[in-house]
Amino acid sequence: MPLKLLSILLLMLLSACAVEPAYNRYELPAAAGQPGESAVAQLQRKAREALDHNDYQQAVEYLQRAIKIEPRNPYSWHYLAETYWFSGDLRRCAEMADRSFSYSSEADKLDEANRRLKEQCQPI
Amino acid sequence: MPRKSNRNPPPAGSSKRLRYLGYAVLALTVALGAYLVYLNHLINNRFEGDTWALPSRVYARALELYPGLPLNRAQLEYELELSTYLEVKEQPQTGQYRRRGEAIELHAREFDFGGEQQPARLVRVVFSGDRVAGLSDPDSGEPLQLFRLPPVIIGSYYPDNGEDRLLLAEDEVPRQLIDTLIAVEDRQFYEHHGLSLRSIGRALLANFEAGRTVQGGSTLTQQLAKNMFLSPEKSLLRKINEAFMALLLELRFSKRAIITAYINEVFLLQQNRIAIHGFARASRMLFRRSVDHLEPQHLALLVGMVNGPSRYNPFRSPGAAIERRNLVLKVMLDQGLLDASEYATAAAAPLGIVERLPGVNPFPAYLDLVKRQLSSNYAGTDLSRRGLRVFTAFDPQVQRNLEAGLEHGLARFDQPELQAAAMVADYLSGDIQALVSDRESDYPGFNRALMAQRPIGSLIKPILLYSLLQGELTLASRVEDQPVRIRQSDGKVWEPSNYDRQLHGSMTLYQAFVHSYNLPFVNLGVDGGLEALAQNLAKMNLLKHQVVYPSMLLGTTAMSAYEVAQMFQVIANNGYFTPLTTIRSVSDQQNRNLGRVPLESYKLFDQARMIQVQRALIGVAETGTARYLAERFPGRSLAGKTGTTDDLRDSWFAGFTRRQLAVVWLGRDDNQPINLTGSSGALRVWADIMDRQGFEPFKLSRDASLEWSFVDPIDGGIVRQTCDNGVLLPFPKAQVPNTRSACH
Repeated sequence: MPLKLLSILLLMLLSACAVEPAYNRYELPAAAGQPGESAVAQLQRKAREALDHNDYQQAVEYLQRAIKIEPRNPYSWHYLAETYWFSGDLRRCAEMADRSFSYSSEADKLDEANRRLKEQCQPI
Repeated sequence: MPRKSNRNPPPAGSSKRLRYLGYAVLALTVALGAYLVYLNHLINNRFEGDTWALPSRVYARALELYPGLPLNRAQLEYELELSTYLEVKEQPQTGQYRRRGEAIELHAREFDFGGEQQPARLVRVVFSGDRVAGLSDPDSGEPLQLFRLPPVIIGSYYPDNGEDRLLLAEDEVPRQLIDTLIAVEDRQFYEHHGLSLRSIGRALLANFEAGRTVQGGSTLTQQLAKNMFLSPEKSLLRKINEAFMALLLELRFSKRAIITAYINEVFLLQQNRIAIHGFARASRMLFRRSVDHLEPQHLALLVGMVNGPSRYNPFRSPGAAIERRNLVLKVMLDQGLLDASEYATAAAAPLGIVERLPGVNPFPAYLDLVKRQLSSNYAGTDLSRRGLRVFTAFDPQVQRNLEAGLEHGLARFDQPELQAAAMVADYLSGDIQALVSDRESDYPGFNRALMAQRPIGSLIKPILLYSLLQGELTLASRVEDQPVRIRQSDGKVWEPSNYDRQLHGSMTLYQAFVHSYNLPFVNLGVDGGLEALAQNLAKMNLLKHQVVYPSMLLGTTAMSAYEVAQMFQVIANNGYFTPLTTIRSVSDQQNRNLGRVPLESYKLFDQARMIQVQRALIGVAETGTARYLAERFPGRSLAGKTGTTDDLRDSWFAGFTRRQLAVVWLGRDDNQPINLTGSSGALRVWADIMDRQGFEPFKLSRDASLEWSFVDPIDGGIVRQTCDNGVLLPFPKAQVPNTRSACH
């Protein structure tokens, strides 16, 4: 009986370790999906929707299109980093967060999000 | 006791002869059978192999249309023409467009973007000058924020042999073409089984009367067999082979399949080194039309050329070609394929062919790079599948500007032997947008942009400057332009000089870079810069030799234009390495994705230090060896570097705008001097290209670790902003100059 209890405790401990570290996504601007939404904003929103359905490949596709249109938009790079984080590709997550950082203005809210994301992207 | 036969035995000799005859007949039958099996195998291979398979198609980038896009109406029309959209006056159907004042209404075709199906739809694009002002659905009037135009096909090829062909499927062949071909070449086509004894007899008679070969008796099927499998030499054996193959073809395939194969296969024209097979290709090249858009006179010319591709070559013998065409038109009239008025119009029309025959493939250098990158990035088993769809970064607009700029630029120099390679890339995404590897951009020859390894001269200096900035130096550090003698490992003495053979005394590192003086860089390089340079080149995979030697400081390292572009990609992109690529994704015939090339971005170099290098490159274009750019594009900031090699054999320029980088190389294949520097040669061509392309000026990124100060470019001291000679330069915060110059 004590052995059984011990195994249950051990299992609980292991499953706790396996839980992904919490990550709060950077939210889209409130205007998303409204009439007059720009091409880039539309692609960013669609990428978010694809991410909500765990369709990482489609999300990456939308964001790469957004980046082709506006290559220095730090949000597209940040969302791309997030997508890679969720898909478990930590190397690319870190690279894209780096690029987002290089295009965002200093002391921006996004900078803080990038810093946080980059910390989490570091391969363990 | 054995019974005695009543019959007399045949004479021994006669029995043997009969037996031998039997063996001979048997052997001949077996041999003939085997031979027919062999011919059948050949036919199988050809017909069930490539000929009927779907080719792999290579697509340009899909044009994203959105309000604000820098694109004018003519540019959109060019894109639509490349996709063979037809301009109409009435409401456009799928594959058509019409002009409506300053707008274009287009009915885009359905397209599968490798997983995302986009239905056919009508879109109105409104322009305001050189930009897209808005998009809408003409039926509902509802505005659209984004529409992706299905991409242009820029080439197709067969995986087995890489050959580029343009084929028609059975249902794509116009009825009038089939009828005319049969009326002119083989009126018994639907009656015979491959051979027409009547035709052979008539030809024999005609030839006998003339005493030489004046008429052929071949059916279309025999001609197909000859075109597909046999050599052009005239011999009895070939004729026999041809006859057997024709019979086999008729036995195996329908008349429709045979005539379609003929239309795809027949040899129509040889012009320079280009052989044109098939009506689809010929009509695209001679008339810039697809076969379903041919007028009767076009169709008649092509059918007429079948009989004598050389005799009726419309470029060399336009008179004979017109005569032949009109003969065919007469046959069409007699056979009821044209009415009298159509005949009169067609017979009076000019040949209507293009002035100069384009290459079989309009973008050979780019497609060559696509194929190379495909084979290095995708598994052989995937590539050997038929009907692959390869989505690339090719931008038809950029390619057009590159070609036109190059042509205009090369016309400045009266040197027919002068060769060129040039490419344009988006350095932020790594997309190779356009590529040319010959002064005749559509000539499919040696791919100089990829394969020609030439010394890069001073193009090495930006990375050398970066390497020097990794030490104690800043852009304002004083350097000496003084002679240097270096004893090399092989005992030889190397004594470099400046391009102008002058010495310029003491100056800042910035000034030495901007004017591309050699001696300060050699002096600094041998004091430690060389090792750092080698390490930095190795990071980009551009260190060609393990042994480092001092002359590398002056760019004796050989690179291709492609490699130079990769080096400048890293410089322009703040030190981030993004591999230059043509391919974005590949899917199979069923639109299953075989792999995307994701956007990569590796931080190889320090951003702040690279911004200092970029500032120096802007200086080159403002006041240095590329100041021509400041004169030609005043007030518009550009960054770049000239490169010239010993005895003026190579002329290079690599430069970038806010989004694109372009590299131009000029030189001769025999490596003889071209008497052009980077500045007097490649720079001019680069400017001609960018002028057509249009560009946003280059802007340096902000970096919190840098501080900007006005300094004197000669002594490196701080000056007031109002001083004439002051230049604004970035410095790491701890290394801002602390001396003051005269004007302060």
